[in-house]
Amino acid sequence: MSEVQTDYRKYLDPRTLARISSLDLRARLIVEGLMTGMHRSPYQGASVEFAQHRPYVAGDDIRHVDWKVLGKTDRVYLKQYIEETNLHLICVVDASESMGYGTVGSSDGGSGAAWTKYDHATAIAASLSYMAIQQQDSVGLAVFDREMKKYLKPSNSPAQWKTITHELTLVPRLAKTGTGHVLDQLAEKLTHRSLIVILSDFFDDLAGIQQGLRHLRYKKHEMMVFQVLDPMEIEFPFEDVTLFKGLEQSGELLTEPRALREGYLEQLRQFTDELKKMCRGMHVDFTRMNSGEALDVSLSNFLAARSASMK
Amino acid sequence: MTQFAIILAFAFVTPAFFVAGFLLASIPIIIHILNRRRYKTVQWAAMEFLLRAMKKNRRRLKFEQWLLLATRCAVLFLVATALARPLACRQSTLASIAGARSGLHVIVIDNSYSMAYQADRPDAATHFERAKQLAKELIGTFQAGGEAVAIVTASRPASAVLSPATYDMTAALGAVDRIEQSYGGTDLAGALRAAKEIIDHEKTLGERHLYLITDGTRSAWDNTDAAALKQLAVDLSQKVVITHFNLGKPNQWNEAALAVKPAGNLVSTRLNNDLSATVQSFGQGPDALLQWKLDGATLPGGGQVRFSGEPMTLTQAGASFKTGGAHVISAELIGQDRLKIDNTRWRVLDVAAEMKVLIVEGERGINRLGGSGAFLDLALAPPTETSGDNPNAAAKSDSYVAPEVVSDLELGNKVLNDYRCVILAGVGQLTAAQADQLALFVKQGGGLIIFMGEPVIADNYNQVLLPRGLMPGPLTKRVSAAGGDQNGFLFDFKPHASLHPLLSLFAGEEKTGLDTAQVFTYWQMDLKPDAKVERVLDYLTPSDAAATTRPAGRGEARDPAITLHTLGQGHVITVTTTANAEWTTFPAKPSYVALMHELLAGSIGAGDRWMNLSAGDSLQVPRNLKLSAAPTMVDPTEKEVVLEPLPAGGPMAYRSGPLNRPGIYKLSTGVATLPIAVNVPPDEADVRTIDNGAIKKALGDVDVNLEGDSLPPAALVVNKAGNDFGWPIMLAAALLVASECFMAMRFGHYRRT
Repeated sequence: MSEVQTDYRKYLDPRTLARISSLDLRARLIVEGLMTGMHRSPYQGASVEFAQHRPYVAGDDIRHVDWKVLGKTDRVYLKQYIEETNLHLICVVDASESMGYGTVGSSDGGSGAAWTKYDHATAIAASLSYMAIQQQDSVGLAVFDREMKKYLKPSNSPAQWKTITHELTLVPRLAKTGTGHVLDQLAEKLTHRSLIVILSDFFDDLAGIQQGLRHLRYKKHEMMVFQVLDPMEIEFPFEDVTLFKGLEQSGELLTEPRALREGYLEQLRQFTDELKKMCRGMHVDFTRMNSGEALDVSLSNFLAARSASMK
Repeated sequence: MTQFAIILAFAFVTPAFFVAGFLLASIPIIIHILNRRRYKTVQWAAMEFLLRAMKKNRRRLKFEQWLLLATRCAVLFLVATALARPLACRQSTLASIAGARSGLHVIVIDNSYSMAYQADRPDAATHFERAKQLAKELIGTFQAGGEAVAIVTASRPASAVLSPATYDMTAALGAVDRIEQSYGGTDLAGALRAAKEIIDHEKTLGERHLYLITDGTRSAWDNTDAAALKQLAVDLSQKVVITHFNLGKPNQWNEAALAVKPAGNLVSTRLNNDLSATVQSFGQGPDALLQWKLDGATLPGGGQVRFSGEPMTLTQAGASFKTGGAHVISAELIGQDRLKIDNTRWRVLDVAAEMKVLIVEGERGINRLGGSGAFLDLALAPPTETSGDNPNAAAKSDSYVAPEVVSDLELGNKVLNDYRCVILAGVGQLTAAQADQLALFVKQGGGLIIFMGEPVIADNYNQVLLPRGLMPGPLTKRVSAAGGDQNGFLFDFKPHASLHPLLSLFAGEEKTGLDTAQVFTYWQMDLKPDAKVERVLDYLTPSDAAATTRPAGRGEARDPAITLHTLGQGHVITVTTTANAEWTTFPAKPSYVALMHELLAGSIGAGDRWMNLSAGDSLQVPRNLKLSAAPTMVDPTEKEVVLEPLPAGGPMAYRSGPLNRPGIYKLSTGVATLPIAVNVPPDEADVRTIDNGAIKKALGDVDVNLEGDSLPPAALVVNKAGNDFGWPIMLAAALLVASECFMAMRFGHYRRT
């Protein structure tokens, strides 16, 4: 048993996954590796399960009135149930140029390409989609950079997962990010209340992001935000004089990184704190993911947190 | 502004490092520029944060970068400057910050014989021991590693016992310990010369000091080298700070035997020889006893000496030597003074049992008195009795002189070293080889007497003898009295006037015949005024002779009759007329015999001169000394003294090193053992001191610190001038390195591992 577990878990390492070119295979491996270590699935699927009573207020649908309680106590209470419908999971993946940055696996002598933030994001998106489809939930996909590049409506068809992984593989990365605008677009597109998982580095205007998230939240969507950062971006370990050429046409800077490290990390921390604060303010789950760390850790943490919040 | 100038008054021990400091300081700048050119390029996503951080910290970063760069430059510059060892040239507050001093200290220690004086009481420490102690105390105030010490001894010959200067104070103290008391004279000028060489050589050292530690005696400061000493002191005062430590005490006194010698030039077994000793008490001292010794045996004739403060000559009359050869006589003062060795003075005398003289005749006569040297032969070895009726038969003589008469043709066959004197009596001409032989003979101490005569060819004499120094001047013309005139030239001899030492025998003597002897012909010689020729006797000019009253003084226009000059260790006497009666009536005069003996005695050098030395001199064995093996010598303690052979061709065959120990040495020649006397220099006996003013004057009135016999308290105070800033600057550099490390870590400019 432990041998099997070990065998699967090694595929959760980004350095290993970077050598696997097929995204669907990556996702399968991630999920299998993850599930092998769990006792029960955090998603129970569709069920009719009483949740609680609450007092009736004007405007409530009278179909949910608990007549038995009314008869016994002469008070009007409504019965509340856990939603009966299947989960609509929408994976929103940032495919801008900045997501193409990645250093994991590039300096270890491996023959594979560097594991980029986009790779990490797509691996998470594919994995979540796989898990959801396995539990009969509907999964949709939105890929964006400056614009919404691709949108797949949620579906629980088994073919949907293949379509999602195919689309994630195809999307090119050339343009700047327009997160807020895209989230607005998405809010307009979604008619059904969904669980929206946003995977991005969020190197964008915070005000725009806030506006987009608020819009989605207004539409009653559940949201989970994954900020994917490369280890180099988190640690900034550069030593020698370096010319930094900004992706997304953000200019260039020749500097001695050792001297600037503290200032940079401070700026990054400030940005992340603001983003986190903004998410919390809107009851949005925020998770910062290190593309250099194993995915199961990130996903387990996410699923655990998700499970706890659904109770 | 003045203070600023003083702060900048630096000199450097190694200025090259200071120059290199500028180059080193540029290294961080070069590295910085190269680094700005050599960079790697990174595609970067989080550019916004980077630019924002840069914008916010630009000024701080720039300041930090410049601060670090300046610190790194300063570190390298300071390290190089510290290695250059900057020195404060003047007294200043800044200079006192520097803990280590730098400088050169040259210590001149007088270890001459007079320094053996026991200063305060008999058997107390000597001046020399005190001088060594003082030198050690001085060295104790120097800082090892910063200050260098050189040591020079002032006993003749002065020598640098520790040169070049050393920074190792232990070595310096060891060098002081190894200095020994010498018995030689003082050579302060030589010591200053040696000190000057050291000081000139050590140009890069900072403050330089010259310390003279002497006993301040007259013998050291007031001697023949006074002018050279003054000049050296003036030169040195421009380069060093001179300090004199005077160890002398005001009431020093000493009694000494200054000289012992025979009364005449000749000491013979056939004569009763008078000996004289010169003794003196320097300073107020009690009477002493004088004791004479001959070859270690006490002679009668000594006695108590009452000193008057002036040199006193005491005579030992009638000393007789039973055998010829080298004998040692000594005069010893038995007193209570504190310098004992100069109380005894030894003298080696080469006593002649038989003095061989070679008479070379230019004309051989058919009868006994016909030759040009015949009268000389008779005069030097007068016969005690005639052998029968034959006047030509060889006569016996008891004279100490053994003349051998030969013709000029036989001269080349003779070994001149077998003779003490060679007399040329009217020899016509000489070959260059014969002249060379004669010149070497004279230079080695032999005597040469030249008489003129009919055969003499002036050109040959002028061309052969004159260039070799065997003639006092060129022969210019032959001067003869007017024809038919029976009155010849007279000698300018006045028995009561001042006479040449060779004529001292005739002083006050009337009717010697010297004033009445007539000379009909003589060779005129041209004596240069600057020639070192002594006129023994001149001719009166005809006008002088005609005058009823002879002029008192000798005119330069008068022609010389007899001259004396020195060549090497020997003497040449030239008589411008004949030795026989051919040109003069003098041989018939009673004074002829005496004068010839006096000339003979005056012509021969002291053959024993090389056997009588002063402490510090080297023995030079003359080549004419008969040797059957390589000579060996032992000192008074029977310790062997090395003799080194000298290159062939010179007058000396062997030479020893300096003989420092007074006493009688023994030289073995294989044939005999000769005594060699080594005495302390007589001038060292004068232990009377001169005051500091006189010392300052002797040093040319230059600025000199005049101290007593101990270090003044000021000398023990740390000298601010000449302080070495090397270590403080190195410390500052180390602090800057620490600061640089801290700043680099604080500013994030360090490389993480």
